[in-house]
Amino acid sequence: MRKRVVVTGMGVVSAVGNSVPEFWNSLVEGKDGAKEITVFDASPYRTRIACEVVGLDLGAHFWKKEARRLSRCDQFGLVAFREAWGTARFDQNPVNKERAGVVLGAGSGGILSVEKYFRDFYQGKGRPSPSLLISYSLATTTDLIAIESGLKGPRTTTATVCSSSSASIGVAYDLIQMGLADAVVTGGSDSLCEVSYSGFSSLKLVDPEGCRPFDKRRQGLIIGEGAGILILEELGHALRRDALIHAEFLGYGICADAYHLTAPEPNGEGVERVIRGALSHAGVSPEEVDTINAHGTATPFNDIAETRGIKRVFGERAKEVPISGIKSMVGHCLGSAGGIEAVATVLTIKNGVIPPTIHYEVPDPHCDLNYTPNRSMKKDVRVAISNSFAFGGNNVCLVFGKYISNAECGVRNAE
Amino acid sequence: MGNTFQMRNAECGMRNKNPKSEIQTPNSPKGRRVVVTGLGMVSAIGVGREAFWENCLLGTSGIKPVRRFDVSSYRSKLGGQLPEIDFKIFIKPANLRRMDRIGKIMVSAVKLALDDSGLDLGKEDPHQLGISIGTGLGSSDTVDQFFRALLKEGPVGGQPLLFQTAVPNAITSHCAIEHGIKGVNITFSHKETSTEMAMAYAYHLLKEGRAEVILAGGGDELSEPLYHVYSMLGALSPGKGKGSEGVMPFGRDRNGIVLGEGSGIIVLETLEHAEKRGARIYAEIGGVGLSGSTDGVLRYDLNGDSIARAMSMAAEEPAIVDYISAGANSTPELDRAEASAIRKVFGERTKEIFVSSLKSMIGEFDGSGGVRACGVALSLYHGVIPPTIGTVNLDPSCDLNVILGQSKEKEIRSALLNSCSNGGSNISICFKRFA
Repeated sequence: MRKRVVVTGMGVVSAVGNSVPEFWNSLVEGKDGAKEITVFDASPYRTRIACEVVGLDLGAHFWKKEARRLSRCDQFGLVAFREAWGTARFDQNPVNKERAGVVLGAGSGGILSVEKYFRDFYQGKGRPSPSLLISYSLATTTDLIAIESGLKGPRTTTATVCSSSSASIGVAYDLIQMGLADAVVTGGSDSLCEVSYSGFSSLKLVDPEGCRPFDKRRQGLIIGEGAGILILEELGHALRRDALIHAEFLGYGICADAYHLTAPEPNGEGVERVIRGALSHAGVSPEEVDTINAHGTATPFNDIAETRGIKRVFGERAKEVPISGIKSMVGHCLGSAGGIEAVATVLTIKNGVIPPTIHYEVPDPHCDLNYTPNRSMKKDVRVAISNSFAFGGNNVCLVFGKYISNAECGVRNAE
Repeated sequence: MGNTFQMRNAECGMRNKNPKSEIQTPNSPKGRRVVVTGLGMVSAIGVGREAFWENCLLGTSGIKPVRRFDVSSYRSKLGGQLPEIDFKIFIKPANLRRMDRIGKIMVSAVKLALDDSGLDLGKEDPHQLGISIGTGLGSSDTVDQFFRALLKEGPVGGQPLLFQTAVPNAITSHCAIEHGIKGVNITFSHKETSTEMAMAYAYHLLKEGRAEVILAGGGDELSEPLYHVYSMLGALSPGKGKGSEGVMPFGRDRNGIVLGEGSGIIVLETLEHAEKRGARIYAEIGGVGLSGSTDGVLRYDLNGDSIARAMSMAAEEPAIVDYISAGANSTPELDRAEASAIRKVFGERTKEIFVSSLKSMIGEFDGSGGVRACGVALSLYHGVIPPTIGTVNLDPSCDLNVILGQSKEKEIRSALLNSCSNGGSNISICFKRFA
C-alpha cells in the first residue's frame, strides 16, 4: 500500500506577497505583480518589466553579514522556508532530522551573484569576491536550507528550469514512498537575473505589455521571481504530531514531448500524456478534477498546446473545469514557478476559491476554455491539478486533493 | 449509484486504491527487480565500454595538462580531458547542429549505452522509456559564451540558439529528441551526487512499475569558467601549502581535486523486460541510500556519520559487500570522512572490503557517477576491480584496503557506489551480482 502524503506547511515569497496570507489575498483580488526592473540595469532592453519581489525586509530576516553572503535566490528560499517550517509547527513538535529531507527545484539559482562576479572579472574591474561563486551550483539554496535547520535526510535539486519545482515535489513524494524520509521540504526558489531575462528576450518571448495568458493579444511571458516552499509529510507522521493538514498530495506525472528544444508539441499530445499519467498515478479519474492551475505562460504556442491537451483529457467537460493562470499576476518564476503554483493550488482547495487569470479581455478562438477571467470564483474543490512545462518538453503535472481522514473515508465507503 | 461511487472516489482520493505500487522501503523485496543491461561511457580513458574497461584495468591515467583553454594564470594546470571525438558517429546530423559540446558528450554516451544494451527502440513503447540525468554544471561553457556576448554587445548580443542549449535540462532534452524517449524525463543538479540521484530515482520508478526502461546517469564538461570557479574556491590541487599537483585519493600527499569531464549512462530495466528480450545483464540494483550532512555549504560530511547512514541504507546485506567504489576525490576532508564512514559501517570486515576510486583516472567532476557506475557494473560482471592510481602512500587515517596500482581479480557479491557532495548530500547505491 502506498503511503498517504499530505502538505503540512507552506511559505511564499513573490511579487504579490511575501507571506502565504498576503500572497493569497493578492491572488484572490487579482493583483498584478509586474513592475519596472531594479535588480539589474534593464534600460537597454525593449521591455523593462518583470514581476520583481519588493518589500521583503531583509533586515528582519537576516543579520547584515549573513544577507551579504547569500544570493538573492538563497534569501527568498530561506524566507519562504522559515514560514513553511514555522507554520508546520516543527519547532514545537521536533522531527527526527535524519528522516527529514530537502528537495528543491532550481532555475537560474544564485546566478545573479555569479553574474556580478563575472561582469567585474571580464570587465577587469578589480578582484571580485570569490564568495559570489558559492552560488555557482544550483544546489546552494537547497544545502543552505538543510544546514540552517539541521536536516540530515535525503537531499537533492532538480534542474528542469520551468518545471523544476514541480518535479522536485514529485521527487520529494517519492522519497517518502521509498521509506527514506517522513517529511521533505520541497518547492523552489529563483531570482531575476540578466542572463535569463536576455535569453527570453532574445527568443522574443517577453511581452512588453504584460502577461496575458490565453488572451488573443498575448505575446509572451513576464519573468517573475520568488520562492514557493511546501512541506510534504507522511500522513501517519503528521497525525502523530498533530500537524495542521492543508491538503493531500495524491500523485504526479512526468514525461517528455521529445519534440523540440523550446517549442511545445503543438497538438497538446505531451500535455495530454502528462495529465493522464498524473491522474492514473493519483488514482483519480478526469471527472473528479475540479480545477486546473495552468502552466499558462502566455507565450502564443504554449497556451494553445496546453488548451488542446486539456481538451484531449477532459473532452466535453473541458469547458466546465475552471482554469487559472496565476502567471498573469506573479510572472513566470522559472525554477520556483511550480512551487509557487503548488502553494496556490493547495490554497485553492483549502479556501474553496479559484484565483483568476488577469488581463484577460480578448478571447482567442484557439483557447476557448474557462480561464476564470479577471475575477476569482468560489467553488468547492476536492481535486486540483497543477501543470508545469519546460523547455525541451519536460512536462510535470501534480495532483492535490482535499484531505479526508482515513476514518471519515472508511465511513463514507461503508455507507 | 454510479454517482455516489464517483463522489467517494473523489473524496477519498486514492487512499484505498493502489494502482501500481506496493512498496514500503527502497530495499524491500516487494516491487520489480531492476537490472543494468547497457553501459555507455565517454571518458578521458576511453569512449565506449571496451576501450574504457581496458584502460581502467590497466590503470591508465586520463589526467594531462589542460589544452582546451589557457590555464597559464592558474596554479593548477591539470585536467581529465576527453580525447577528440567525432560526434557524427553517434548523433544524427540535423540534431548535432543544435547541440553544444556537453550535449554531444551526453547524447553520445546515451547512444553507446543503447547500442550496448541491444535495445531495439523501434520495438519499444516510447512512453515506457525514460531518461534521468544528473549534471553539476551542465552547459557552463554555453552560459559563459552567452554572458560574454551580452557583456560585449548588450541585449542584441543575446543569442537565442545559445540560450536554448544553456539551460541545465537541455542535455536531457537533446537525448530525448534524438531517440524519441517520451516517458519520464528529469534532470538533477546537486553537485557530486547529481548522477547518483538520477540513478536512484530511476531505480525507484522502475521498481514501482512506472516505466520499463530508464537511461540513467549523466556527466559534466571541463570548461574554462568551471575551472576558474573551482580554482577561486580553492578546491583544485595543488591546494595551498604542501604537495605536488595530482589526484591521489586516500593518499598521504593529496591536496585537492583535479577536474575531469565525461559522461556515463547505464540502461536500467525491469528484470521482466530484460528477460523477455533476452538481454545481457551486468548487475542488479540492490538498494539506494540517501542522507544529508550539515557542516557547511562548501563542506563535506566531516565525521562520516551521514555517509555511513547512506551506505547502511543502500547495502541490503552488509555482510556480502566486497567492493566499494569510493567517492574519495583527493580532498583530505572527504577522503578521511569516507574512510571513517566505511569503518563505522563494516567494523571488523573493513579490511576484507576492496576499495578503489576511479576518480584517480578520470578526475573529479559532479557528474562522474555515471562513468563510475559503469565501472562498478563491469567489476561485478567480470570479477575484476580497477585500481586506484596516483596514490603511493596511504594517509594513515584512511587505512582501508585500497587497491593501489594494479587491478585485482575478485568475485564480487555486491558493491557500493558512493558519492558525497560538498554542502552535504550523500548517496550510496548498491549493485549486486545478478543471479
